[in-house]
Amino acid sequence: MPEPSTSTGALARLGFSRSERVRRFLAEPALSELGDRAPSALGATADGDDALLGLLRVAEAAQEAGLTAEMTEFLRGIGAPGSSGQRLITLLGTSVAMGDFLTRHPERLSALRTGDDQLTMTAHEVRATLLRAVGADPAAPTPVAGDGGRAARDHLRIAYHERLLQIAAADVRAPSPTDLQPRVSEALSDLADAALAAGAAIARAAVPGQERVRWAVIAMGKTGARELNFISDVDVMHVVAPAEEPGSEHSEGDTTDGDETARAEEDGLVAIGSALARELARACSDRTSEGTLWQVDANLRPEGKDGPLVRTMDSYRSYYTQWAESWEFQALLKARWAVGDGQLGQAFEEMIAPWVWKASTREGFVEDSRAMRRRVVAHIPRGEADRNIKLGPGGLRDVEFTVQLLQMVHGRTDEDLQARSTLEALARLGEGGYISRVHVAEMDSAYRFLRCVEHRMQLHRLRRTQVLPTSAVDVRRLARTLGMTPEQFTTRYQRTRRRVRQLHEEIFYRPLLVTSSRLSDGQITLSPQAAKDRLAAIGYRDGTRALSHISSLTEGISRRAAIQRQLLPAMLEWFADGIDPDLGLLQFRRLSDAIGSAHWYLGLLRDSGRAAKRLTRVLAGSRFVGEQLEQIPEGVRWLARDELLRPLARDVLGREFLAVITRVDDVDVARDVLRRTRNRELLRISLAHLSGLVGPIEVARALTDLAEAVLEAGMLVACHVVARERSVVDSGAATLDGAEEVDVGTASRLRERRSDPARALGIEMAIIGLGSFGAREMGYSSDVDVQFLVLDRGAGARAGEIGIAVATQIQRILNAPAAGTNLKVNADLRPEGRAGLLARSLEAWCDYYRRDAQTWEKQALLRARPVVASEAVSARLREEMDRHRYPAGGLDDSRRREITRMKARVESERLPRGADPSRHLKLGRGGMTDVEWSVQITTLDRAHDHPALRTTSTMDALRAAGEAELIPQRSACELREAWTLAWQIRRSLFLWKGREGEVLPSDRNELRALARLIDGDEGTAIELEERYLRVTRRARAVAEQIIFEADD
Amino acid sequence: MEHLHDDVIRKVDDGDVRFIRLWFCDIAGTLKSIAISPSDLEVAFTEGIGIDGSTIEGLTRSYESDMILRPDPATFELLAWRGRSNATARMMCDVLTPDGEPAAADPRRVLRDALGRAEEKGLELFAHPEIEFYLFAEPYQRGQQLMPADNAGYFDHVHRGQGQDFRRIAIQHLEAMNIQVEFSHHENGPGQNEIDLRYADALTTADNIVTLRTVVKEVALSMGQVATFMPKPMIDQPGSGMHTHLSLFQGGKNAFHEPGAEFGLSRVGRQFIAGLLRHAPEYSAVTNQWVNSYKRLWGAQEAPSYICWGHNNRSALVRVPFHKPTKGTSSRVEFRGLDSSANPYLAFAVLLAAGMAGIDGEYELPEGAEDAVWGLTERERRAMGIEPLPTDLFRALESFESSELMASTLGEQVFEFFLRDKRNEWHRYREQVTDYELASTFSRV
Repeated sequence: MPEPSTSTGALARLGFSRSERVRRFLAEPALSELGDRAPSALGATADGDDALLGLLRVAEAAQEAGLTAEMTEFLRGIGAPGSSGQRLITLLGTSVAMGDFLTRHPERLSALRTGDDQLTMTAHEVRATLLRAVGADPAAPTPVAGDGGRAARDHLRIAYHERLLQIAAADVRAPSPTDLQPRVSEALSDLADAALAAGAAIARAAVPGQERVRWAVIAMGKTGARELNFISDVDVMHVVAPAEEPGSEHSEGDTTDGDETARAEEDGLVAIGSALARELARACSDRTSEGTLWQVDANLRPEGKDGPLVRTMDSYRSYYTQWAESWEFQALLKARWAVGDGQLGQAFEEMIAPWVWKASTREGFVEDSRAMRRRVVAHIPRGEADRNIKLGPGGLRDVEFTVQLLQMVHGRTDEDLQARSTLEALARLGEGGYISRVHVAEMDSAYRFLRCVEHRMQLHRLRRTQVLPTSAVDVRRLARTLGMTPEQFTTRYQRTRRRVRQLHEEIFYRPLLVTSSRLSDGQITLSPQAAKDRLAAIGYRDGTRALSHISSLTEGISRRAAIQRQLLPAMLEWFADGIDPDLGLLQFRRLSDAIGSAHWYLGLLRDSGRAAKRLTRVLAGSRFVGEQLEQIPEGVRWLARDELLRPLARDVLGREFLAVITRVDDVDVARDVLRRTRNRELLRISLAHLSGLVGPIEVARALTDLAEAVLEAGMLVACHVVARERSVVDSGAATLDGAEEVDVGTASRLRERRSDPARALGIEMAIIGLGSFGAREMGYSSDVDVQFLVLDRGAGARAGEIGIAVATQIQRILNAPAAGTNLKVNADLRPEGRAGLLARSLEAWCDYYRRDAQTWEKQALLRARPVVASEAVSARLREEMDRHRYPAGGLDDSRRREITRMKARVESERLPRGADPSRHLKLGRGGMTDVEWSVQITTLDRAHDHPALRTTSTMDALRAAGEAELIPQRSACELREAWTLAWQIRRSLFLWKGREGEVLPSDRNELRALARLIDGDEGTAIELEERYLRVTRRARAVAEQIIFEADD
Repeated sequence: MEHLHDDVIRKVDDGDVRFIRLWFCDIAGTLKSIAISPSDLEVAFTEGIGIDGSTIEGLTRSYESDMILRPDPATFELLAWRGRSNATARMMCDVLTPDGEPAAADPRRVLRDALGRAEEKGLELFAHPEIEFYLFAEPYQRGQQLMPADNAGYFDHVHRGQGQDFRRIAIQHLEAMNIQVEFSHHENGPGQNEIDLRYADALTTADNIVTLRTVVKEVALSMGQVATFMPKPMIDQPGSGMHTHLSLFQGGKNAFHEPGAEFGLSRVGRQFIAGLLRHAPEYSAVTNQWVNSYKRLWGAQEAPSYICWGHNNRSALVRVPFHKPTKGTSSRVEFRGLDSSANPYLAFAVLLAAGMAGIDGEYELPEGAEDAVWGLTERERRAMGIEPLPTDLFRALESFESSELMASTLGEQVFEFFLRDKRNEWHRYREQVTDYELASTFSRV
């Protein structure tokens, strides 16, 4: 016996990590036959420690089983290239699970003596072996196992793993694992087929009446495509048919029962078939003392888990012609008859073939594949994404998705693409000129590499894992099985993932850029039709125009074209994920024409993926934003940073406007400056809204703040203009000039100074905001409802007239017609309406509300607040308003009746002729007005003893009324839901079309766009329409209760 | 679908078909038809045929009138009474919006959706209707007595009876159109007949009912008579109901059947019935949609005026008939509330929804009633917890309006239109000055 000459140090150098233990093991008697070269050979395996431990256990088990001679042959060979011993330890160094199997069954070592390293054993031979193992005759037309019990299952497992040994050994010994990879997958699929065949034989032995049923098992998924892993679910579907001619017996029963007889026959057939299918699943997946094979998964069948386990051909046909969704056809792409009745299996394959290739023309295909893309990314646990080799970005699923999508898109017209396996399909896509050869080669090698990694991970313990290990030991073993160092492996892995992600873009989108001309090396050219097919498959409706936009954006030698060539492939996909890809692309082209040569613009898009992505989303979702961005290109810049995108706070807005009105010598200039600044901020709000940075309430608040700031600035300008007209200030005097920078410190001084003209005029102006402005619930194009008050500060009797002049000037400055988005300062709600004085004194205003105001005017005060006024005046106004809007003792009967009648009249009169009340967002059934009046009546009636109701905000008052149970919580909820949805629809309509609408559209495209603006990517037209009609119907019921049926 | 299209195109070529009628229904269940020539067939399948939907009540909103008809190739049949040469065929259609989505207001869509929701739970509705109708010698004319086509009674064999002939021809036509007739006989009233259709899935059955009404009317006309499906044409004669046997199948098995249970009725079956009962006031505006419907419901003679169920109770709203104990497939419940004038698509949809609500909500089935409920006193009925059905369309609409189940089953748009349309009907009815009022009041005051 040779003395182990190896010291622990030497062992460590050989690659072992627990050298003390290794030395002990090497000295074990069971391993006495090991030669000198053995330690270094063991150390060179992927995991020397594992290999040695495994070897020791196997050797001991062999000894116990009296197989010493056989074992000796293996032991002596270790270290000799090509020997069976090398085969054994290479396997043991990679797979602990295979070692466990051999320890249990040392007699199966024989499988490794010669092995099958080229994997030449045919599917037929494998099937025969496994069938014989369960006592079935491979030559029989319908093999039946010797028995259906436990023994057969054990035999099946042993025979299965024996063959698995050979496949695993071939894999780990392959000089180039990536070259052999497809062959390994095929061998595994053949083995799975054989196991299904043996399982079917066991099932037939266990199910009585089985001879009455013809049965074919259709392999799906990876098994169907013959690209199986070492361990994964095996996807199947089952087809059954009666064994004898139908109707040859069963003649009893009257004729009217013919149908029922047929149905009963089918019942029987399905019952037996289901029993067979269940037995087959159990035969493969039950855990016995010999372990388990894998789960047989039949969930890809029609109706999934809820559907019957087996079906007849007719039943499949009617399902696929009537009910199936397009992803189900995509699944059929991989369907292959695997086991059982060949005639039936082939008939099934023939039946489905035409459907698969028409799937891409079905309704919903685009939506489905979009949704699929989103799901893939969304469903991986965070933190695992980069290590998830299958589902993570750049993982196997991405390769498969790219290949399948192209297959579905082009396979309809090109039959050559109709292949099941990913690599095969990839090759054919290359041959057909749909993917360039370079890309085919890259994709192919990426796919093989990722699959090899997956195999090696699974092989270790035969566990179904998709996530790369983190521990150093595990990573080392994984790397070494692939003949790399851990560093090499990590680099290669990351490079592959990155590349796959780029490749999707390059393969699918890049060729769309070069359909017409100018091919660089290795690029392919698509026919215009193929390019349109691709665009259509991802949601572009007008392929021809999209192609013309693309070529206009990318043609030429300008820097712009060059950068856009770089950006566009990714952007095309982002547009496709947006609401209206065609619109997005068109608006992008316009934007590019307008500002594309600006340096910062292209640089920003190139450097900030986030800005580019957001830009695609807003352009595809909003006409308003598209138009505004052309005018205000700097808006694109904000998209890169959240803090630039967030709407400005009220005080910041105030300073902004103070800063810009320094030059007001000319009303037109002032007007222009105000409008431009306002448009800029409007754009900012809408971008924030579209990017989901702010919710509806915040948008409403921001729009109100903006209106206030504009109004304040407008008033200052107006005072100045009037003062100059009346020569109370020097014309041309730099009254409004001031600090260059308006900051918190200078703002109040500046504001003060700019009030000088008013002071010079001897007046003080105050403005009350009403309506949605007063409520701080404005939309993008809501009127700014106001009342003007003028206070005498020295002008005496002329104060009123000056106030009117200023108010008139304010409206003139702010209400000038502008492109797109008008601001409208509306004073129609003032005392006596249009006939009344435009500006009143505080006393006259108070008198009016005490003496003459009608009930509805007092009701309007519920949403009124001083917007521009000194503290003292504000306090005075609030006090006066409170006495009218929160009357002590609540709403008396006659007032209530008056309001109710008013509401009834408004309903019949104000709704535009021909409008459908159920779809009018503002005045319609359960629309915003219904909700607002409900809240207002409640407030008028109860605010005197419920101070929480004293707010101008409809939603706040509604919440308070709900909390105080003045309106039942549930009803309050229903009112809020309706109001909020109507608000959202009106604002989204504005973003989508560029102008606000009052009516829920019936055009499906518009509805779909709204749905996605409001509900995100999952929103649908039907759902939004139904929801709106439903919540407003309920809100109407509540509103009727509150407004019309209050307890008398 | 493709091969079905091809089948139809081939049949049209082979069969000397000159016109194909595209059939669809408005909300009331009235059949609408437009004819196309064989050369338009392919377009009809691929793109659909555009129609002006505004002409059809309830089908569209007035400002959005373009609609697309897409024929269902599985429903292709030759119209038997049009003869074999120069034949005319029909297909039932789904109505779509111009961008290819199902039109909210298509009754067939309503039923499809309801079936789809049940299908998600693996359940499929089958129905077997018994359709009653009257034959008259003349069409109704104001002020004239109605003249029934014969004077026979229940199961009577009518000598020289045109009724007999009538039914023979009608059934021949129906069967030529692949609509299987289970049974037919003379009913109680003079001129009243009944035709029972063979069990089929609910969508097919609804198509068949609509077809049967047309066939019956065509045949009657060809024999110089007039057929009507009006629920109660004559005050002193029985009304025309459409008792319908319903059953749910799950994976090819009757989900109502449970061997050994009472009446062989499974838990699902009991819950389904409980759902039918609890929601009866809500759906009755749909199952009994005319002012006249309530004259049948409250006209005695076995009419199911009260909401209860029984095993062998000929006055119950829901009856669980005997079944052959060996046949698991034949367990069913007989819903007796429907009348022959209902829109079968909407009616089946609401009945299914009510039953499914019972299953989803695991409703308890109240005790069955074996007495003739008509014979009980008001107090007895109340003690037994038996509620009446709405006594008229107005009350039915009140219950309907406050029903979330109806709104979600029909869809908001059909719900809204139905309500408006039926309210109008009620208002017009209420304005009438009837013969009864004149006769009873005119001379008295």
